[in-house]
Amino acid sequence: MSRMLIPVVVLVALVAFAIFGDRPQPRADLTFINSSEVNTLDPQRMSWMHDLRTARLLYEGLVKNDVLSDEFTIIPAVAESWELSEDARTYTFHLRENAKWSNGEPVTAHDFVFSWRRALLPDLVSDYVKMFMNIEGSDDFYNWRQEALDAFADQDFGTDEQQRQAAYALWDETKSKFDEMVGLKAVDDRTLIVKLKRPTPYFLEICAFTVLAPVYQPLVEQYERPDPMTGRLVRRPGWTKGGVLISNGPFELTSWRFKRDMRMEQNPHYWDRDSIAIRSVSIPSISDPNAGVLAYQTGSIDWISDVTSPYRGDMVAQKLEFLEEHKERVAELESLGYDQFSITRMLPDDPRAHTHAVSSFGTYFYNFNTKPRLPDGRENPFADARVRRAFAMCIDKPAIAREIRRLGEPSAWTLIPPGSIGGYTSPKGLPNIGDASSEAERQSIIADAKALLEEADFPDDFVVELAFNKDAGHDLIGQAIAKSWQKSLGVQTSLSQKEIKIFREDLKNKQYMTARAGWFGDYGDPTTFLYINHSKDGNNDRAYNNPIYDQLLEDASNELDPVKRMELLSEAERIIVEEDLPLVPIFHYATIYMFDAKKITGLSTHPRTKQNAFLIDVLGDGIGPDQPRPMNPENIQTSTRSALGESP
Amino acid sequence: MMTMILRRLAALPFILLIIYTITLTLAWAVPGNPLENPEKRPKPEVIEQMKKQYNLDSFPRFYVSYLSSVTGFEYAKDWISGDLERERIAAEEAGFPAPARPVFDLGPSLEYDDWTVNEIVGGALPVSITLGAAAILIALVIGVGAGVIGAVKPNSISDLFTLTIAMIGISLPSFVIGTALLLVFAVLVPLFPVGGWGGPTKAILPAVTLSLPFAAYIARLTRMGMIEALGTDYVRTARAKGASERAVLYKHALKNAFLPVLSFLGPATALAMTGSFVIEQVFTIPGMGQHFVNGVQNKDLFLIMGVVLIFATMLILFNLVVDVLYRWVDPRIT
Repeated sequence: MSRMLIPVVVLVALVAFAIFGDRPQPRADLTFINSSEVNTLDPQRMSWMHDLRTARLLYEGLVKNDVLSDEFTIIPAVAESWELSEDARTYTFHLRENAKWSNGEPVTAHDFVFSWRRALLPDLVSDYVKMFMNIEGSDDFYNWRQEALDAFADQDFGTDEQQRQAAYALWDETKSKFDEMVGLKAVDDRTLIVKLKRPTPYFLEICAFTVLAPVYQPLVEQYERPDPMTGRLVRRPGWTKGGVLISNGPFELTSWRFKRDMRMEQNPHYWDRDSIAIRSVSIPSISDPNAGVLAYQTGSIDWISDVTSPYRGDMVAQKLEFLEEHKERVAELESLGYDQFSITRMLPDDPRAHTHAVSSFGTYFYNFNTKPRLPDGRENPFADARVRRAFAMCIDKPAIAREIRRLGEPSAWTLIPPGSIGGYTSPKGLPNIGDASSEAERQSIIADAKALLEEADFPDDFVVELAFNKDAGHDLIGQAIAKSWQKSLGVQTSLSQKEIKIFREDLKNKQYMTARAGWFGDYGDPTTFLYINHSKDGNNDRAYNNPIYDQLLEDASNELDPVKRMELLSEAERIIVEEDLPLVPIFHYATIYMFDAKKITGLSTHPRTKQNAFLIDVLGDGIGPDQPRPMNPENIQTSTRSALGESP
Repeated sequence: MMTMILRRLAALPFILLIIYTITLTLAWAVPGNPLENPEKRPKPEVIEQMKKQYNLDSFPRFYVSYLSSVTGFEYAKDWISGDLERERIAAEEAGFPAPARPVFDLGPSLEYDDWTVNEIVGGALPVSITLGAAAILIALVIGVGAGVIGAVKPNSISDLFTLTIAMIGISLPSFVIGTALLLVFAVLVPLFPVGGWGGPTKAILPAVTLSLPFAAYIARLTRMGMIEALGTDYVRTARAKGASERAVLYKHALKNAFLPVLSFLGPATALAMTGSFVIEQVFTIPGMGQHFVNGVQNKDLFLIMGVVLIFATMLILFNLVVDVLYRWVDPRIT
């Protein structure tokens, strides 16, 4: 028997060693969680919202949004000032002298050229390469490189060594082509000139986007090599890890353990470090939404940036109940102009108050496939705009928001959330059975819709298929829409639930009839939403093609007068939501936060939902001013206000 | 015994090759494109080039190229051609350590841009091995203990009680047990943290949850073995020569009753150590189990192949270890 004990003892020793050897780190000043693991910390390759949110702690671009201001103003970051030429096509950025990388080296204009060149290489598959296409010559360069790579792949250069040399030669040629073709010049270390294709009124908004933040060339270059076989620059992971990554933002990355946690400490070389009120940030990776809420309730997390647990509707309902109990005080504070976080801060302590629903810069909608033929070869009735209009009118949108989503989200008549973009007037949208105030009105909307179907010769016995991906309650929304259509239009429906990857592929290949979709805006201009319906856009899953619409977008981009430009864009959106309806907006998203407003300050309630977590101050921790940072204009930090005065 | 070990080790590559072939064929057949980014999409021509770069455009080419990188052949080739040396010098000139280049390269993760499968497995496997080993230990203590108690007085109250507990342990899914333990011992009575990994307090609840089905099975195996052993001649002889009941139970009966448990422990340890998706979800543990599920869901070909090959290797090795232990514990077996 003693022989049998030896392996057991060995096992015990190993387990004890492993468990006790893995000590947790001390708690960070701020601990928050994202809804899922960060995909990449390479700014040029990012597209997920939580990646961008995390990256804003580490990287800083030329300019940034003042997320605590009502106007979401552009304020200086690495660039301390800039000028725009007479023809509104050339920006000259002056970089601040004290902008430093986390290893103490200065951030130079060359770093921006290097980083933006990375994004413009088809090799790196930047999801947001379009953001860079406003720069003169950028698409010519992109296409040139793409063709050069295609040609390279078809050619045989002989031995492995010859193949390798050819790949390096192509890479050298690419670098000089970039300097030649693209309107991006580092005049000296501190001056960056950007030539645009055409005046782009929202170019600074784009510059504030994290994908345009710089990366540290000497480090990143080590991980990118031309592949001898395809000539492509092959990217190897590794430089975005703790202890390796060199970044220029408020924090530096000290560790990132896959699907476990990420930790950052203040960047000692950051130029504006005095304004930062937290010294360390920890981002544990909690993929199960319920585990996240539990972790918050037991106090190990300060902020959940996206609550996705199935019972969040109840959490929001309880918050509303809490506000109802204090409705007089709430009304009084609202009339004084306080935002919802400040109001919660001033109400009595209550666990229900820790849930916050904030409006998002995104819209949930249903796509129609507008191709003349369906995937199975039959004629597609949805190719007719009248049919799409009729179906769009007969979805009970408020009921979906109220009874299925239960997050207090506004029903949507437009693609762009109204009020989210300054200077833009949203169109009205189509009447909808959900907003009829009486049964008679409802019946008259249904009668109009039926007349449209009649006019368009909508076939009898036609089964309308609704496709959606499983999870996240899309099935319930699909059922509600199907029911609405059955009841009001008398059509037959079928539901088709798919795995997310297959669903996306079907959308891309237009292998569907109607399908759920959603879109979040990236920058503060209507084009961020409107371009997904351009006939040539890669995200046009609807195969929508209206030359008038395309022309309006084209005219708008040539229009120098900002007011007229917005009018053109508004007209374009009107075509989408009132006439052609390639998609039916259902509701505008809300995001659910969990945090104690009495403890955390510095989060923005602006409908653009962009949080700069480095602005957070943990109240009462003795670090930073420990003062609430509300959004009221008169209370905006004086430092950012004064900086504002220096720039155009 | 040495020849047995050598023979089994020599068979390992062939078994792995068969597993590699079958898994790759199945994973290749899954519909959906692994290069699809769920949020925004690359242009079709770029996807074409990426496919070419990863050899995703041709099954035979992928089969050969991935095999050569997993087996270290690719590394050897770059070492001989001097590519590795060139990289090292370039990195040194820029003042950085050269990018890590594993000998046995399991490839990049197509879903998680910043990670290679080697890094993913390297981070998750130690966690899963620790948790699995802890669970097996707990299972042994509970299982053998309960089994012996039951066997001493078959069909008594204590036997029925342990059998019932064992039945519950086998039948209740771990997400129920895990959530229940979490609610009781982390939320209602905050003895343990609600999740995460690092330090002993975070390991206890998941280890217990993971151990229960194994403990239940071990208890049943021990009980059956013990009842059988207690009825044999040599136990009667031991009793007749006046050995204490304790000595009879532990020295004579358990030794033989333990053999079926031992053979169960091989695959059980491999299974426990490669992680459980459910337990990792409930307790937020950065282990291996999630990568099986996510890999398949995302059609992350490299990740699927990586975790399957690791799991297969572990399974084969643990079975080998158990066979060696078997012979060592009971010299009658050859």
